Amino acid sequence: MALTLPQNLNDLLERTLDRQVRLAVTGLSQAGKTAFLTSLVNQLRHAGLDARLDLLTPVREGRILGAQRINQPDLSIPRFPYDEGIAALSSAPPRWPEATRGISELRLSIRYRSRTRSRHLLGEQAQLTLDLIDYPGEWLLDLPLLKLDYLQWCERMAELMTERRKHYAAPFLDAVAVLDPTMDADEQQLAELAARYAGSLHKARNEGGYTYVQPGRFLLPGELAGAPVLQFFPLPDLGDADRERFAALPAQSIYKTLEARFEHYKRTVVGPFYRDYFRRFDRQIVLVDVLSALNAGPDVFGDLRLALSTLMQSFDYGRRSLVNRLFNPRIDRLAIAATKADHVTPEQHPRLLSLVEALLAEPIKDLRYADVPVRAFSLAAIRATEARTVAGNADQQQPVLKGTTQDGEDVLLFPGDVPEQLPDADFWQRQGFTFTSFRPAPFTASSALPHIRMDAALDWLLGDKLR
Amino acid sequence: MNDPRPGQRFSLDETHDEFPKQNIEITPELRFSPAAASQPLIDAPPPEVDSALDRALAHPRKRRWGLLTLLGGSLTLGAVQAVETFREAWLGSDWLAGAWSVLGFFAVGLAGAMLGRELFKLRRLRRHARLREAVEDQDGDTFALLDQLRKQMGLSDDDPHWQAFLKAHQQHHDDGETRTLFAHHVLAPRDARARQMITRMSGETAIMVAISPLTLLDMALMAWRNLRLVDRIAALYGLELGYASRLALFRAVLTNMAFAGASEIATEASMDLLSMNLAGKLSTRAGQGLGSGLLTARLGLRTLKMLRPLPFSESEAPRIGDLRRQLWQQLKQVDKDQPS
Repeated sequence: MALTLPQNLNDLLERTLDRQVRLAVTGLSQAGKTAFLTSLVNQLRHAGLDARLDLLTPVREGRILGAQRINQPDLSIPRFPYDEGIAALSSAPPRWPEATRGISELRLSIRYRSRTRSRHLLGEQAQLTLDLIDYPGEWLLDLPLLKLDYLQWCERMAELMTERRKHYAAPFLDAVAVLDPTMDADEQQLAELAARYAGSLHKARNEGGYTYVQPGRFLLPGELAGAPVLQFFPLPDLGDADRERFAALPAQSIYKTLEARFEHYKRTVVGPFYRDYFRRFDRQIVLVDVLSALNAGPDVFGDLRLALSTLMQSFDYGRRSLVNRLFNPRIDRLAIAATKADHVTPEQHPRLLSLVEALLAEPIKDLRYADVPVRAFSLAAIRATEARTVAGNADQQQPVLKGTTQDGEDVLLFPGDVPEQLPDADFWQRQGFTFTSFRPAPFTASSALPHIRMDAALDWLLGDKLR
Repeated sequence: MNDPRPGQRFSLDETHDEFPKQNIEITPELRFSPAAASQPLIDAPPPEVDSALDRALAHPRKRRWGLLTLLGGSLTLGAVQAVETFREAWLGSDWLAGAWSVLGFFAVGLAGAMLGRELFKLRRLRRHARLREAVEDQDGDTFALLDQLRKQMGLSDDDPHWQAFLKAHQQHHDDGETRTLFAHHVLAPRDARARQMITRMSGETAIMVAISPLTLLDMALMAWRNLRLVDRIAALYGLELGYASRLALFRAVLTNMAFAGASEIATEASMDLLSMNLAGKLSTRAGQGLGSGLLTARLGLRTLKMLRPLPFSESEAPRIGDLRRQLWQQLKQVDKDQPS
């Protein structure tokens, strides 16, 4: 991999002193990235004052002086809409921050009192610059495309077509079945098929809850809407045997046209996205919304597992040294977070943890091999519910949640047990899961957001930099 | 010497004896009905497996029945005797003997109370150790254990440190997080005080030994001050030591230092020797003083580690190195002030 030069001299100095951290907040769409970032900024702004961050060591020791949003290095990228998020949360009735539709960046300067021996030399007050990026989770799954060529991608997509997914993709599948890839391309026909393909992705995403949906720009095209680069789709029933047969086709054939567009998409859309935002991370937190996947059933759950393990191959992990900190940064510490932990009762948290560890078992093995420390957390960036108990049967106190559902109904409920492992097929037939989703608790804009274990996660990710 | 034998061929159909077989019994396959009751196979070693080693290493736990009988017996007999003498004196109107027996009875009662108190304090020390183990092994509900610990430390419900802990503790915190919070809010202030005390007392010991004119006095000073240090650290964590429990604790600390602390001493020894050599260059007395100061400091830290209700985590454990510099500075100060 080519070396990545830091953007300017100042960054170089900061990185030499290890005072700059780029935190990758990774999560598929709806995993809670924006909520996490909003909460993170809010907690650090209120650190040492009214935020409850007892598990973040420097805060506990009273060494954090505060945090401020400062000017980001790249002025052409929008700023992370923190104020809008806070406004949504503090409106009446409170709303979750809007889903992200484009890339935004945020640079946070954290000021703290140093405790290290070098403080006599460098001054007692130290500063850590934290770079954060928010982006639509849909685009994230484009990263694995970089390692595939068109034919491999078609095969991969064909493997994903489970019965339930075929149901969502029926209009596209019917139309593409009669298409002959060796024919000359007809622009109109390709555009129409691509629209159908995009429609099937939308359905799978929104109705089915599927997360492994490629290419991501089909869902959120941004400024690319209608451009030919987004007018391609996977051809069904291709195998390695077809490779040589198709290689000899003329350039204007359907197969060649689609292949060219796919390559162009990789080169001009995914490549820059990866190069500009995803190659220079020091720390990473992977947010996983396990509960929604459980709600959606075994098919979606398997899909999520596949999506996450494919995704995590796109990042560089490994131990760091001064040299590769400067020129080839790698992620040297990772947190895995089961988000929306406030949607289950506190005693279920250990189960939530073991479930998310089971879900990410394969990537965790790779990380162990790379000697990168990983820890799992059950986390709620913004706590929406309050844990209480009611008198259950047989003198047992039944833990319950008190909150307001998305429809605005006040409820007191036990959301159900979280399985420790993925349950077997029988169970899904019998019961399944229905975890209720809540709206955020009322909140005044000047106070700190309530949370679950944000402090512990931050301590794991940043604690060693704030010494 | 025989020549090596040449090769030899046999035809396959030649009759040959079977190679003598060993008597091996091979159990054939056994089938059970899948519905038959079966227990899970437990192949984990029984939990007592390392206790033999532990028992051999730990010093034998003996109840001193003989001593207890002797003390208890003489107290009972003394009381009976006193009552008897008193009765006779009453009947015989021998007032002097009566007064003596009342005095004797009083003395016996006093001794009994003292014995009882000693036993009670010993038990408290043991209970403290047991609770510490339970918290460490996460034996049961951590929060309940910590609440019990608070009571043992003699903190009331509205103690500010405990209140701060309650405020920080949330329902979703797991055992490890709860203990971290407890350690920070309740124990850390006490740790800091204990550390201050160790620094101060080891410094004072160093100076006292450096300026005391008699070796015998040095030894007495060391013993007295070290016992006192152990006492004070125990008081910080809510343990009131009696005579017997103080001895027991002191002995445990010494054993711990001799065995568990030996490796630590070995790693630190070169540094210690270097500082003592340097101090020795200054003056022999300063060297001796530094040596005794370091010993007191090490003893204090060891006591701190043993008595703290939650064990120190790797990073926050106090180190002898931090104290050494302060000691050295104090001694230099004395040397500078001393008129030559």
